[in-house]
Amino acid sequence: MAHLVIESLTKIYERGKVRALTDVSFEVERGEFLVLIGLSGSGKSTLLRCVNRLVEPTTGRVVLDGVDVTRLSPRALRRTRRKIGMVFQQFNLVKRSSVLANVLTGRLGYVPTWRALLGRFPKEDLERARRALSRVGLLEKMYARADELSGGQQQRVGIARALMQEPELLLADEPVSALDPATSHSIMQYLEQMNREDGVTVLASLHFLSLARRYGTRIIALKDGRIVFDGPPGAIDNAKFKEIYGEDAEEVEVR
Amino acid sequence: MSGEGLPVLGRLRRAFTLGLLVPAADALVLALLWFVGSLFFGFLLHGREVYFAGPWWLPLLVIVEGALLWAAWGRSPGMVLAGVVLRGSARGRFLYWALSHLGPVGAGLALLDREGRLPGERVGGVEFVEGRPTHRPWYRTSVGWAAALGMALALGAAVGTLQIDLQALLTKAPATVKYWQQVLRPNTSLLTLGIQLLIETFFMALMATLFAAPVAAALSFLAARNLTRGWIGRPVYLLVRLAGSITRSVDAVLWAIIFGVWVGMGSFAGSLALWVHSIVDLLKLYADQLESIDPGPVEAVTATGASRLEVIRYAVIPQIVNPYLSFTLYRWDINVRMATVVGLVGGGGIGFRLGGALTDFNFSNASMYMILVIVLVWAIDYLSARLRAKLA
Ligand SMILES: Nc1ncnc2c1ncn2[C@@H]1O[C@H](COP(=O)(O)OP(=O)(O)OP(=O)(O)O)[C@@H](O)[C@H]1O
Ligand SMILES: [Mg+2]
Repeated sequence: MAHLVIESLTKIYERGKVRALTDVSFEVERGEFLVLIGLSGSGKSTLLRCVNRLVEPTTGRVVLDGVDVTRLSPRALRRTRRKIGMVFQQFNLVKRSSVLANVLTGRLGYVPTWRALLGRFPKEDLERARRALSRVGLLEKMYARADELSGGQQQRVGIARALMQEPELLLADEPVSALDPATSHSIMQYLEQMNREDGVTVLASLHFLSLARRYGTRIIALKDGRIVFDGPPGAIDNAKFKEIYGEDAEEVEVR
Repeated sequence: MSGEGLPVLGRLRRAFTLGLLVPAADALVLALLWFVGSLFFGFLLHGREVYFAGPWWLPLLVIVEGALLWAAWGRSPGMVLAGVVLRGSARGRFLYWALSHLGPVGAGLALLDREGRLPGERVGGVEFVEGRPTHRPWYRTSVGWAAALGMALALGAAVGTLQIDLQALLTKAPATVKYWQQVLRPNTSLLTLGIQLLIETFFMALMATLFAAPVAAALSFLAARNLTRGWIGRPVYLLVRLAGSITRSVDAVLWAIIFGVWVGMGSFAGSLALWVHSIVDLLKLYADQLESIDPGPVEAVTATGASRLEVIRYAVIPQIVNPYLSFTLYRWDINVRMATVVGLVGGGGIGFRLGGALTDFNFSNASMYMILVIVLVWAIDYLSARLRAKLA
């Protein structure tokens, strides 16, 4: 059984009556590193957010591990969300809080509410936070305020936060678009590591085709909310590229 | 100078009263009703302080025509105020109604601009959806001229009624000397009493702020658009915001008078007045702050599977603590100043004594109290600014 099944997903934003996704269907096997590409506004963020219902799909189904996510009660949705890690283009850390506090929020789905509200995380979680931070090489920044870190470091904290969830699926919405090429690769390598070593299924949207080819095991291209390509990285030839990005596009490399 | 007995002047005054003052008063009452009504429905429909959404002439027409009809056929507040009772036949009333259009229509015509538009795209913060403001210097618009004329007339009327006595102003200054002498010799024997009163005033402000902040902070979560969604959240949001706007529009001095009647004059009434006013003032500041937080962390923490309360605790509160503290300090600073003003109208503390001294023409006492107030206000102002700078 496929890990994630998207069935004729359609999203129409009430505000502005924008059709962001139209009848999108695909399946993702466990352990895949699926990269979403497409022009700005093609619906990549919307698709990723429909998976953990940060955005409510208009019609269609999202089935994770045989469970229809779109029909879950709020409580069950929270239980499902804790298995889905997410990293963001703008990192989305709580800037005024410490790195540790940010990383610990990754456990909120597991910790009882009263403990969380009092800030009394279990010892194991503190230990887990140390491990996650040392994995992304930021142990010594544990008590620094999140906004004191560089962009690349902040994204590593974002990854550590996702690691805390011990996720089975990782959603990454343009995780490196705000970073320079060298830092981009180091971040992508953390995602690759999660994918290969922990067997986490990864769904990442990326802007650069070169990054998509380098890290993806499969690529899905969106255009105006529809799938225009679904296949292995090698199958995107020049004609396909022009179809996805438009006639005037020029491929840019990120080394 | 009085116009009693002179038939012409008497008639003029009567015409003025019936033709302009009564319609104006009634229109004011109706405008207020419209204001509250449209505020309410604006909130209901748009969820923000939209006073009226529609063509601008509609409320104008309803208000003016309503006022005239009310005066002619009902017992309108304007009539009551002017002390006139309209008696007579339906024909007389109809005549009055028809004639009374002259005043408002004349005033309206005088205010028309070149394109034949009434001024009033944005009168007193009233937001109309249609219509554009004119961007010409005032002296090139008929509105500007009408306003200038109106002001000149008002000035003339003011000179007439206020018994302006330039001679006295220019020659009788020495009469004030003895008061200035008093002001310059503050009654230092009041120092201990004054300091006690000052401490009372200070505590009025402190208590009002301390007790208002938690109430406002709790309510602010119900008054932030981005945190109140769904079929329970939205109505609660509208209700809290609406109640806040209405309460906020009542001045603290007015609250002091209300509570003075309610619980008796004194520092308790004063504190209550400051408390109520602080709650609604802070509520708006807090809620606006909540609405402007970065949604990113909220999204990220939600995505981890956290519950609503956990999201608030970990993604919202860290973003607002410092601004909230800063607003609270700012409000404390205002309350210290306002505690004196509230005291003047019976809210206790040093303001009450200051008011007493002023009405007794005892400027030596008043001066002592005033010095103490200035010192306190200055000190708190300084302290609050320093603390807020640290929070930023
Ligand atoms: N909250 C929203 N309300 C209304 N329309 C939205 C909203 N979010 C996105 N859209 C619209 O939906 C469409 C798809 O947006 P989406 O953010 O999913 O694209 P994207 O592929 O992620 O683009 P980018 O590369 O710029 O991030 C766009 O037309 C966008 O304007
Ligand atoms: Mg996007």
